[in-house]
Amino acid sequence: MNVEKPVLTVIGSYPAEVDRLQMMESYFQRLQLPSWQPVIRQAVKRMVDAGVGLVSDGQTRDPFMTIFTRGFGGCQVRERTEVVEPIEFIEPVTLSDLEFVRSVLPKDKKLLGLVVGPHTLSQSVVDNVYDDERELAFAFAEALRQEAELIEPVVDMISVDEPFYANGFPAYATDLIEHVVSNVSCPIRLHACGDVTDIVPSLLDLPVDVLSHEFAASPGLFDAFSEHFDESKQICLGSVRSDQDRVESVDEIVSHIQRGIEVFGTQLSQIAPDCGLRLLPESVAFEKLTRLHNAIMVVYNE
Amino acid sequence: MFSFTKDQQVFELQDIFFGGQPGLHPTVLFGGLFFKGNPDFTSAEKEIQSMLDVSERVGVPGIPDVFIKKEKDIDSILSFIKRVLPEGYPFSVDITDPVVKVKVLKALDDHGLLSRTIYNSLHVGVTEREQSMLSKHSPAMAIVVAFNPKDKSPDGKVEVLENGANLIDQGLLDLAKTCGIDQVLVDTAALAPGDYSGAAIAALPVVKEEFGLPSGCAIHNVVEKSTWLKDFECAKPLVDQSSNVNVPVFGGDFLLFGPIEYSSTVFPLIAWEDMLVSEYTEGYFGVTPSSGHPRRRLMG
Repeated sequence: MNVEKPVLTVIGSYPAEVDRLQMMESYFQRLQLPSWQPVIRQAVKRMVDAGVGLVSDGQTRDPFMTIFTRGFGGCQVRERTEVVEPIEFIEPVTLSDLEFVRSVLPKDKKLLGLVVGPHTLSQSVVDNVYDDERELAFAFAEALRQEAELIEPVVDMISVDEPFYANGFPAYATDLIEHVVSNVSCPIRLHACGDVTDIVPSLLDLPVDVLSHEFAASPGLFDAFSEHFDESKQICLGSVRSDQDRVESVDEIVSHIQRGIEVFGTQLSQIAPDCGLRLLPESVAFEKLTRLHNAIMVVYNE
Repeated sequence: MFSFTKDQQVFELQDIFFGGQPGLHPTVLFGGLFFKGNPDFTSAEKEIQSMLDVSERVGVPGIPDVFIKKEKDIDSILSFIKRVLPEGYPFSVDITDPVVKVKVLKALDDHGLLSRTIYNSLHVGVTEREQSMLSKHSPAMAIVVAFNPKDKSPDGKVEVLENGANLIDQGLLDLAKTCGIDQVLVDTAALAPGDYSGAAIAALPVVKEEFGLPSGCAIHNVVEKSTWLKDFECAKPLVDQSSNVNVPVFGGDFLLFGPIEYSSTVFPLIAWEDMLVSEYTEGYFGVTPSSGHPRRRLMG
């Protein structure tokens, strides 16, 4: 096959092995917060060992939304994050972790920066301040714009994660994404998991370079995209389930990728799990990535 | 001075009361008993007796916080505690090694001491084995350390108590209940100087308002980590001991004040502070001090 081989990547999270005892020892001995770098280093190493070419920081610190609400002013992290004051960008949330990943990443690997989408943030928090979904979403978008601008020099691509599109696509989605990426020039990926078959035309209008979806869990997406796809976008093909421990066979994944090639042709630029891997056992997550890598090798005759 | 809108839980062990609105009960003081090498029980007995004497004189309760480091010392230390403390008198066991922790729990049960034990401590480093042993050999009370490795602010401390900060499956408070421990003291986890050390003090009223539970901390540890104080040899012990007044001023209920040897200074110091708090909270909030309060004991 002579088409360009898609890169194996991740959506974001990778299961972390956190040594809680060591963290407490650090506290009792030195009264200090422990370094998180060993956790990040381990996650990155496992992704690289599995054959991932576009690597994230693993989002090991927290669930993907909490990473940002913990870092932004105005948010109080509770069972659900509460917005208690106007949203404020205080300092970069993920920059130091990304700089660390860059420092340990092999030179032939690329780095994926991750930001959660403003719509998803606005829908997931308890709002005690704005009383207006749109205003809240744009407040998050402004904070995320500053984050994206600061991480851009360190990363090769930024992925905006908007899982809440599956529950409802806001009329102002394009404006929100435009705001977040307004000052960056690196390629942008938009990840929306769940069944988004009904909003494919709207997704294709978003100001991003790559669309990323759960094609393994929602194979109906192939038909939905067949109907509307116009090659204005590249595709990140979700190819294994992130919500099941069963590890798909290489043959299954090969068939899945071949179907992706039929629909998207050369616009198929990334292969990934359907979503973040955080909730899977680490050995399962690693094996899924390894089989994705092996399947790509089979499909592209390497 | 503070008064909390949330109902305050008060726990009791052998007539020692933990918690409540500021000014109701005196601050409970935990004096650290550390053994170096082979335990020197003669010296330890004298220190405990001195602490109990000054506690009785000023009306501030004192509890020995016994550090157990080695498995081989468990039985001798527990036998010593049984022998020297008045019958039924509470004590706490301070253990960091998870292997030693589970051995101590079993030994406490064997010695018939669980009903007077304060377990120091439960935190996000809890192991499955420890949880299982705590459920089987539940102590009367536990100190829960609200250390959140992800967030050093008072909010972070609330988070780890409430939901475990995504490090453990449930919040530390629910975890304690799951282990059969209903009486919980919240240690607001003092951090090193330069690392947001004041948050442990700021968190004292936050924890009480949020959960209605007794709160306290070992603020003197921050003084120990203040290396610049080495240049002020005379002042350092004074700063160490006086740092403890922050706890009652900010509405806290208990404090781990450092080496038990400091008892003769720290108990009168905290008695004075408790009286100061009580005078105001009775006058302004109508909180009548309990019968054994230093304000009653020392001012007639």
